[in-house]
Amino acid sequence: MASFDVMPDVQLYQPAELDDALSLADRYATRGWLLGGGQDTYGWLKDRAKHPQAMIDLNGIEALRGIRESEDGIEIGAATTLRDIILDQRIISDYGLLSDAAASVASPQIRNVGTLGGNLVQDARCWYYRRGLSCYRAGGNTCYADTPDGMNREHAIFGASRCVAVSPSDAATAIVALDAAMVVQSVDGERTVAAEDFFVGPATHITRMTSLEPGEILTAVRIPAKWAGKRFYFEKVADRNVWDFALVSIAVAMSMDGDTIGDSRFVCGAVACTPRRLRNIENAARGKSLSDESADAVASMASDGASPLNANQYKLPLMENLVRRAMRA
Amino acid sequence: MDIATYKNDVWGREVLLGVSWDLLWLVCVIALVIVAAHAVYMAVQQKAERPSKEGKRMQRHEPVDRIMHWVMAISILALLFTGVLPIIGVEFAWLTLHWIAGLLLTAAVLFHIIRSVLQKDLMSVSIKPDDFKEPFDENQKPGKYSLAQKGMHAAVTVVTLLVIISGLFMFAMIDTPWWDRTNSLSESTLGWMFLVHGLTTLALIALIVFHLYFTLRPEKLFYLRSMIKGWISEDELSANHDPERWVPDESA
Repeated sequence: MASFDVMPDVQLYQPAELDDALSLADRYATRGWLLGGGQDTYGWLKDRAKHPQAMIDLNGIEALRGIRESEDGIEIGAATTLRDIILDQRIISDYGLLSDAAASVASPQIRNVGTLGGNLVQDARCWYYRRGLSCYRAGGNTCYADTPDGMNREHAIFGASRCVAVSPSDAATAIVALDAAMVVQSVDGERTVAAEDFFVGPATHITRMTSLEPGEILTAVRIPAKWAGKRFYFEKVADRNVWDFALVSIAVAMSMDGDTIGDSRFVCGAVACTPRRLRNIENAARGKSLSDESADAVASMASDGASPLNANQYKLPLMENLVRRAMRA
Repeated sequence: MDIATYKNDVWGREVLLGVSWDLLWLVCVIALVIVAAHAVYMAVQQKAERPSKEGKRMQRHEPVDRIMHWVMAISILALLFTGVLPIIGVEFAWLTLHWIAGLLLTAAVLFHIIRSVLQKDLMSVSIKPDDFKEPFDENQKPGKYSLAQKGMHAAVTVVTLLVIISGLFMFAMIDTPWWDRTNSLSESTLGWMFLVHGLTTLALIALIVFHLYFTLRPEKLFYLRSMIKGWISEDELSANHDPERWVPDESA
């Protein structure tokens, strides 16, 4: 497949007001493309694997940027860069899980321009799909990754339904662990969606990774105060530490009573098409202390129900070990 | 408006992808226009006196046949809802529900075929040359089934068998509790299966619209009753059927 150094012919809009962007998104719907930092966008366009008629650049809209106090926690504009999140003192002190996750994304250059919204709504990174092949996710009738010879080392071990691509977003695991709400706007108004419901698997919608409808824009992420200042753990395992996607990642928020775990949210990334809540671990961990013994007692439950593919069985012990590490004192 | 859609395969060759779902709206509109036209035509016709439902009851459908009819009806409706709603934008995890309904329909159809061949009079529903006189001769009354009913049964049979066969090929391509998918069919073969499945789905939608319409027409409601309770009255029998061509069980 040819790849081009130049951008395709596409109408560029650079609205300064959110209302204008919403009107454009509504007008172009599936023919439009929302542009954040461009780190997911430009590959698609240069490979000519996606062919939007119009690109709606959201970076000039001030309302979409910045980190603000909200009634119950903080609200982060979707066009806020990952770098701004990493450096924000309120996030570092109260929601360090998110700053850790954001700091693990790609490379410093990408974090300088990449936005929180863009990281959350980025498309699947399965190379068959990114190559522009007509797989299930691209509207076709087959999956190239889930074949005896398919290159599926990075693919899903949970929740596959025809497509076996995984959620590539590092920030998504933290956002789900922090029980955030996604603020979605369209010309018809605003709706909020729990982060856990925002990401959708292929069984529900095989050509999308989020519940964003055409014409809708993710405008902000609201993180409740419930988990502010709690115990956090984030770890991302990748083939290299810079500019790579997770093989498996884990984001954990724990409410501690002394050394005893209370409520918690364990979320794994890169094991399913959506960030995966480990509810069985959360239930088993409640009342236990942070220790090697507790970790050993519950860690093996992390991979319960997994269906590994030919080349990604290593993700099972990797998941279990990440849970084990999260529960150490 | 295209009938089929195409994509490029891994080698860059154009392959068949399946039916164009733009046809969905066309089929719905055409079916509803036909129904509306028939309703208007019937409204201006002189209404015949309806036979009484009182009197002796004649068995039209045995309990087992009624149960199988409703099992097939429910499974087909479940298949249509789970298959078509995601196409028109209603999102939910439809695939598992879809194949479970498909297996239910397949089992019901197999049972129906075996029972029809071994225990029932297959000829009563088969179309014969004489049947074509019915629409043109008021004195020519049908046996157990009218020409329209036989035609509907034949059409539903063909369409349902095609949708089941193509569906089973597609079922083999997904993970199930009994096997892991193999991706063993070529994309072009799969494309043909998707095309057949899609076209027969569209045909089923039209046939169901017609079936529901004729089921709910006032002069045909006694057939719906017979599919629920099993019987029609002696009066309804003599008004709509030829007792010499169909002698029902009077023990209903």
